[in-house]
Order: sequence, then C-alpha cells, then structure tokens
Amino acid sequence: MTTRSASPGPTRRAFLRQGLGLAAATGMGSLLAACGSDDDDNATTTEDGPVTITMWHGQEDQAKETIDKIVVDFQSKNPKIKVEASSGGVVADSMLQKITTALSAGSYPDIAYIFGSDIANVARSPKVANLQPYVTKPEMKWDDFYPAARDAVTVEGKVRGFPALVDNLCVAYNKKVFKAAGVPEPTAGWTWDQFIETARKLTDPGKGVFGTGWPADGGEDCVWRFYPMIWDLGGAIVDESGKKVGFDNDSGLKALQTIHQLGAEKLVYPDTKPGSETMYQIFNSGKMGMVATGPWQLPDFVDQKTDYGVVPLPSYSGNKVTIAGPDTWTVFDNGSGRVKGAVTFLQFLTESSQDVKWATQAGSLPLRQSTANSAEWKEHLQSTTGLDVFSEALGYAKIRPTIRTYPRLSQPLGQAIVKMLLNKGTPEGALREAAQAANDALATG
Amino acid sequence: MRRLSEAGTAWAYVFPACLIILGLGILPMIWSFILSLQVSDLITPPEWIGFKNYEVISRDPHFRAAVGHTLVYTALFVPLVIAAGLGLALLLNRRIRLIGLYRTLVFVPFVVSATAQGVLFSFIFESHFGLANAVLRWFSIPPQGFFTDEHQALYLLVLIGLWSGVGFCVVVFLAALQDIQEELVEAAALDGAGRWATFRYVVWPALQPVTIFLLVWQTLQALQVFDLVFVTTRGGPLESTTVVVFFVWQQAFQQFNAGYAAAAAYVLAFVLLVLSIGVRFARRRDT
Repeated sequence: MTTRSASPGPTRRAFLRQGLGLAAATGMGSLLAACGSDDDDNATTTEDGPVTITMWHGQEDQAKETIDKIVVDFQSKNPKIKVEASSGGVVADSMLQKITTALSAGSYPDIAYIFGSDIANVARSPKVANLQPYVTKPEMKWDDFYPAARDAVTVEGKVRGFPALVDNLCVAYNKKVFKAAGVPEPTAGWTWDQFIETARKLTDPGKGVFGTGWPADGGEDCVWRFYPMIWDLGGAIVDESGKKVGFDNDSGLKALQTIHQLGAEKLVYPDTKPGSETMYQIFNSGKMGMVATGPWQLPDFVDQKTDYGVVPLPSYSGNKVTIAGPDTWTVFDNGSGRVKGAVTFLQFLTESSQDVKWATQAGSLPLRQSTANSAEWKEHLQSTTGLDVFSEALGYAKIRPTIRTYPRLSQPLGQAIVKMLLNKGTPEGALREAAQAANDALATG
Repeated sequence: MRRLSEAGTAWAYVFPACLIILGLGILPMIWSFILSLQVSDLITPPEWIGFKNYEVISRDPHFRAAVGHTLVYTALFVPLVIAAGLGLALLLNRRIRLIGLYRTLVFVPFVVSATAQGVLFSFIFESHFGLANAVLRWFSIPPQGFFTDEHQALYLLVLIGLWSGVGFCVVVFLAALQDIQEELVEAAALDGAGRWATFRYVVWPALQPVTIFLLVWQTLQALQVFDLVFVTTRGGPLESTTVVVFFVWQQAFQQFNAGYAAAAAYVLAFVLLVLSIGVRFARRRDT
C-alpha cells in the first residue's frame, strides 16, 4: 500500500512510476533479465563464523537514517555479523517486483521489506526461511509483539519473518471545519450512523466542503477501510473453509450501503488518483471534515499546521474495531548461517530499545507492547496529537488474512467500493458481482 | 586465408552488439514465450499447461475490455496526432519572427516525461478543485466528472497523449517540408497553382513517406500505452481505462499470474508484428 511507507513524496512516486512504466515498456522479460544479477554469495556459512547478510529495506529519508544508525550500533556489538543494508535500489512500494525477479533469478537478499498483504505469496517460495524454530526461544520474547504484528508474519502456521512496521486506521478530523459548521467534535464509541450524520452537516457544496474522503482507485488503500466495517457486523474477509468470501451476506451489504450513502449524497470526496494525495491536501486546506487514516499521515498534518484531532473508527455495534496494516522483514534462506545471522540482527532491530527509536524517528507505532509501555514512547506520545489514539488501537486491531489468493479477492471488492463511492449501481448488485468474482478466484486458488 | 581473418575481425567487432541484442532482446522474448505456456507466479516452480493461457485469454471479458480500450485509444489518437502534427508543421514552416521559439515550444511537451504530464493533468482535470472545471464554470458549462467519470476518462487520456505526442510529429513533418525543393513550389506557382493545389500535388506527395512512418510509429506507441494510464487512472474509474499493457502489469505484479500476463503480452506482440510486416509489404508493393 503506497500510503503506508514513512514519507510519501511526489518525487519518489514519480520515480517509481517511471521505473514501472519503463519496465512494462521494455517487456517483462528484459526486466527480469536485468534484475538480480548482483551476485554476493561470497559469505561463508559456517556456524558462528563471520557472516555477511544483505538487507533490502526500501526506506528513504528519516527511516533510512534510523536503520543505518541501528546497523552501526549492531555492528559494534556483533563484529562477526556484517550487515549490508541498502534500500535494495527500490522504495518499499516496488519491493515486491524487485524481490519476485530476484527470486526467479536465484540471487536474493537475506532480509527484505515486504508488505503484509504480499507475504503470503512471497512465502510460497521455498527460498523463504522458516523461522519457527527460532521464535519459540524465550529470549526472542515473541509474545511481546502485538498480535496483529505476529499474525502478519505468520503464513499457514509458520513464521516467515519479523514484524517491521505496524499501523492502523482511526479517524482524523479537522477542528476548523467542525467549528465553522457548528458541529460538535466526534468522540470515541460513535456509530456509522453518527458518522454519516456528521458528514451530512459538514458537507457544503457551495463552499466546496466535503464531509469525508475515501481513496477511489480500487487499490488496497481503498479496500482495507471496508474490513473493519464487515468485521464489526459479524462478517469476515474469507469464511472458515477458506474457499469462499465471508462478506457475501448482510455484513457486506450493510457496509456497502453505508459507503453508498456517502457516495450518493456526495458527502465523500472520492479520490480516483493513485496515491490519494489530493484527498489529504483537501483535508489540510480545510475543505474536508473527517478522514480515516493511519499514523503515517500525522507528520504531514503537523507540517501543514492543520488543527486536527483523532478518534477511533466508528462502528455499528459500539465495539472497538479497526484494521492494522503491518509490514514485514521477510527472511530468505541463503544457508543456515546467514539465516541465523539475519535472525540475530532482526532480534536486535526489533528489541524494545531499538523499536522505540524506529517508531519515534520513522513516524510509526511500537511493534512490542513493552515498547508502548516504555517511558520514552510515552513521552513521544505527548509530542504528536492523536498518536495516543493510534497507539491504543493497536491493542484491538486485526489484520487481513495472510492467504495468497488475497490480491485476487481484493481487486473485485475494490471495484464494488469504487462503484458505491461514485454512486454507480446498487449495493446489492455491487456485492453480488464482487462476491462472485472473489469466490471464483478463491475456488481456483 | 586473409579473407577468413577479415571475417574473424569483422565478427569480433560485431560480437558485442550481437551479444547485447541476443541477451536483452531475443532471449527475454523466448523466455517470456515459454512463460506464457506455464502457470507461473515467478516464485514457485512453474507448471506446464501448453496453450491453455491463450485459450482462457480468448474468453476473458477483462482482457477483451482492455483490448477494446486500447483500440479506441489508438483509433482516436493516431489520426488526430498526425493531422494536428501536419497542421502545426505547415503553420510553423515559414519565416517569421521568433519562429525558432515557436518550434521549440511545440516540441517541449514531447520532452516532458509521461509521469510529469500525468501528475500535471490529473490536477488540471481534478473534478472538484481542478482548473478545467473552473474554466468551464466561467463559460457557464456544468462541471464535468473527468477522471471520475468512466465515460470521459479514456478520451481525456487521448487528449493528454495528443498534447505530448504532437511535438514529435511536428518535428518530423517540418524536416520533410524543408526537404521539398523550392523550385518545385515556384514552378507550381508559375503554372498557376493556388495554395491548395500546391499542397495537394506538390507538398503532400513529398510528405507521404514520413506520413507512413509516423502512422506506423504512432500506432505502435498507442497500442503500447501504459505510463500515462499508470500515473493518472490506474485503469479506473471502474476499469474504464485498463489498456492491454496495464492489464499485463496488473496480472503479473498484482495478481501473481505471470504466465497469464506473458500470454497477454504475446497476443499484443503478435498484433504488433503482423502490423509491422503488413506495412512493410504494402510499402514494398508501392515502390
């Protein structure tokens, strides 16, 4: 998901798009041939001997600096494990393409930054390491990771990497817009009916003010906002058999009806452009009252001097519900010595003392519960408005299933949501089509 | 003996180039053809399925839609870009003040990357806060959905494509226009030919070879359009702008159907090949 990386900027996006465009223009074949030619298999893989591990972190700016510092720190304490950390030549958004080609070329790093929604597919490769034997060791303090973070790196019962980043969805609101419309600010425990009612009061076509916004490009950022709604209504993304969707019922229908109401009454700004930057610009410029978003967006609000507040997502039932979109440090098998080295490094990287640096400096949330309880993090919470709401939501956030058919399920669902946002067709029809297409994808595997 | 060593030297010179062409052109083509006969996600070992991918693709409504969008784009883009290019070239083919500046300005959009264009135009055609709707409002025309309207998005892409593509046509036509001998034009004038007759019987025949070149070139470009779609619409809204290359990207890198994507890419490649060969034959018959 594009919006989840630490600092989305137009230049990086532009670069990425151009790169992809070029790749497609020259044909997939040449792309595959061109990548993965760097051969750095020079490390010896004897147990406990000196070992060199490669990491593609896909980070830039602040996040990259933080990682670099942690690597230097690690190096001074573990001289036998040499860590070669680089972005991997790509940003996190295009790591999947890079790693796919690297795997098929047979020359891949030891650690790569893989989005949670992709790990199930990547983990099908026999070249992805199984970390199950390592994580059960008590010094790993595996249970200290938030459940959402642990689930994100577990595919079919096997741990395939370490949690890298975790975030979740809450609602940010623009206080100025609320004041101008004379609407009371939302509070925790509110319902979707209240959300729609509030959006209705805030919307003012004459002034070009929207109640809320929703990405409408049909991508992951559009789709994942839908899941907390169906979970709250007793639905699921896939049912227990794993062969059918779990929202082809009242839960999916009601959730789509809610979105349809927003779309039909034009209470929502549907952002059809990839990246949803416009949506946040509109929010910052005081033309949008509320937007569901993650903690990654807070630094931008602060930069733009937006007077904002944060509340948990609304629900239907009054229960607390939200979705986490965790990313992973997936570990690849280049021999047991290197896997061991990678685990040692990742253990260090995610230890509370480093985790707090990563979370505070790179603008994300703690991966470990012990980090969240640390004095340093609590102090950091004071510095950014609303961060405490996101931090607390980690306790109850759930994740998307780590199944490999997920992308093929998400795609038709995205189209159904876009239809509702653009007020085309009925919720019933959209649900039927999406469920049909997603079920077909699940059935064929 | 000497001959042999001469040939050897020649091959030594040609060898690096051959290697590059083989390695970066031919081998990937063969490899992706093999890929198109498999079920492959590029991650797990592939499974051989023969021509089944092609069979499925012939019945795939999404692929058919992508082909449709690509054809509509091409059918609109190619004639328009050539007509506009010719018109502008004729206007710019005269000696007036600052002509160098005008020619440069026409060519500038061609140099701007498709990415930058995409970003620029998605701001202009933003449906609520964009410049285009502000202008329309000024003329009392109701605001348009533009990229949020599935009946407009594809045509907007043609428009953006024209903005950048026309510069190239202008340069090629200008070069051809300046190659026409002045004597011919003068002779026609002496014979009493008006402006239209001069164009029809002197200028146009001289422009025909480059027109055919542009026709082929722009058609190939239009059939492979991708970057513009990727930056502005990602195939949306509601899959109204999924073109063939975008479909390939989506299948390979979003849905992990690399084999299927390779088959789709090969269908496109085959069409391009037939087109190129067809034009070649047609031209050979002409001369």
